[in-house]
Amino acid sequence: MQQRWAAYGGRSLFVLLSAVPIVAGVSYALLYSLGLTGVLSEGFTLAHWQEVLGDAAFWRTLGFSLYVAAVSIGVALGLSLALVLRSPQAFTKGALSFFIYLPLSIPAIVMAFFIFQWLGKGGWLSRLSHQLGLIGALEQFPDWVNDNYGIGIIVAHVIMATPFFTIFFANLYQNERLGEYLHLAATLGAKRRQRIFRVAVPVLLRRGLATVFLYFMFVMGSYEIPLLVGSQSVQMVSIRTIQRLQRYNLGDIPEAYAISVAYTVMVVVLLVGLLWYNRKQMGRA
Amino acid sequence: MSRFTKIALIGLILFPFAFLLMLSLGKQWPYPAIFPEQWSLSNWQLVLGGSEGLGNSVLVSVLLSLSVATLSTSLSFWVSRHIAYHPKREAWLSLAYFPYVFAPVILAACLQFFFIVAGLYGTFGGVLVAQLFITFPYGVIFFSSFWNERLRSMEELVKTLGGSTAQAYAKVLVPVAKGALMTCFFQLFLISWFEYGLTNLIGVGKVPTLTLRVFQYVSEANIFLAALASCLLILPPVALLWLNRAVVFREG
Repeated sequence: MQQRWAAYGGRSLFVLLSAVPIVAGVSYALLYSLGLTGVLSEGFTLAHWQEVLGDAAFWRTLGFSLYVAAVSIGVALGLSLALVLRSPQAFTKGALSFFIYLPLSIPAIVMAFFIFQWLGKGGWLSRLSHQLGLIGALEQFPDWVNDNYGIGIIVAHVIMATPFFTIFFANLYQNERLGEYLHLAATLGAKRRQRIFRVAVPVLLRRGLATVFLYFMFVMGSYEIPLLVGSQSVQMVSIRTIQRLQRYNLGDIPEAYAISVAYTVMVVVLLVGLLWYNRKQMGRA
Repeated sequence: MSRFTKIALIGLILFPFAFLLMLSLGKQWPYPAIFPEQWSLSNWQLVLGGSEGLGNSVLVSVLLSLSVATLSTSLSFWVSRHIAYHPKREAWLSLAYFPYVFAPVILAACLQFFFIVAGLYGTFGGVLVAQLFITFPYGVIFFSSFWNERLRSMEELVKTLGGSTAQAYAKVLVPVAKGALMTCFFQLFLISWFEYGLTNLIGVGKVPTLTLRVFQYVSEANIFLAALASCLLILPPVALLWLNRAVVFREG
């Protein structure tokens, strides 16, 4: 009896700390965006949703977040796969197996600060270029920070994600005994290119799909990095939401909540898609 | 991989650390100088001297992260057992992924109202509760693969021999889970230690953690103190990594 109550208690606490905050948050945001709660609430209205969905800037924000996440993860995956497949043992044994963990100890806000001081117009690379005679003045250095293409944001995420995926794939390589598969493929006459693109990359990507997807979501919703090195004219979702919430104009708040709900719906759709795909793959296996 | 490539990679990895350390020791850095014109330990002495509030921020960050990691680790360890042994384990576990649907900062924005109503807005307790919402589900996911039939049999053996549930935890489950508990504790400590957006929004800047200090100094264009606060943020995770490495070597 006591055990049953403990089980109920445990599961209730689980729901209370993981599902309740999300349901409460989304419900409140939805009600606010529909004009049903809040300081300026005047009853049910779709005006805020029409405003958000009809605003090109909102779609640009979503598109920009997707673009930053796709390019960052794409580059990081390419680099980490190249490193692991070139030398799989290097990241599980020896000095590199320790050093590769070090970048994971850098918080996003510190990485953003580093990028700002490294790639900014007055940053270290600009100074180095000046000393080497590549540029004559600070203004001649390209806009790599606070730019409309999100170069600074992408570089920051690539620096953070590459070591993470390198460690992840190096362990996967070992656990999945990929070396033996590749050896078998070579025995059967597969060339190096075929072994990499037909065997190694598909196995690593398929096994790591869920992790890659979660990291993709993390980059899409990132806040600190675009806050410091992002542009004001093209913003990522978190920045646009928080800026609208913190403006003095109270009329912007329902729109901020509408953006939050729209973003959540998009992520849920992507997450359900991933779960469905994973289940299908497991069924096949 | 050749020795040269390995050394080059290690150099690349160490560059941000050396760069931040250089700035934390600098005083004057006019363009286009590559290195600061003056070097000094005075920025670091500010931490020990207690001025600039940096020492206070270190204390707040340590206290917050220790509290969050301790609470989340112990709660998630206990709760995950009840989830893992449930017949519909997968369905229950999918709830743990809920908080990751939101970016933490957007979650904080949507929950602001509830924190104001509960009187937790702008308080240490409020930030602690908000961080539990992102660390606790992580802990549950982390421990979900820990529970298995072997542990269940050990637990039942304790009860067959007349032991209570508390004794089963104290004498069997916790000692067996020591390694996993430590790993989870460190990971949750780091999640809390690195957190900025949620802490800033729920704490309204009144809970001055080190991440908030970095942003404050960047906003004030004080790059030397921002670099110092960055170094202070990086130090504990690096120490934990080194400790982990030392333990692995000793056990190896």
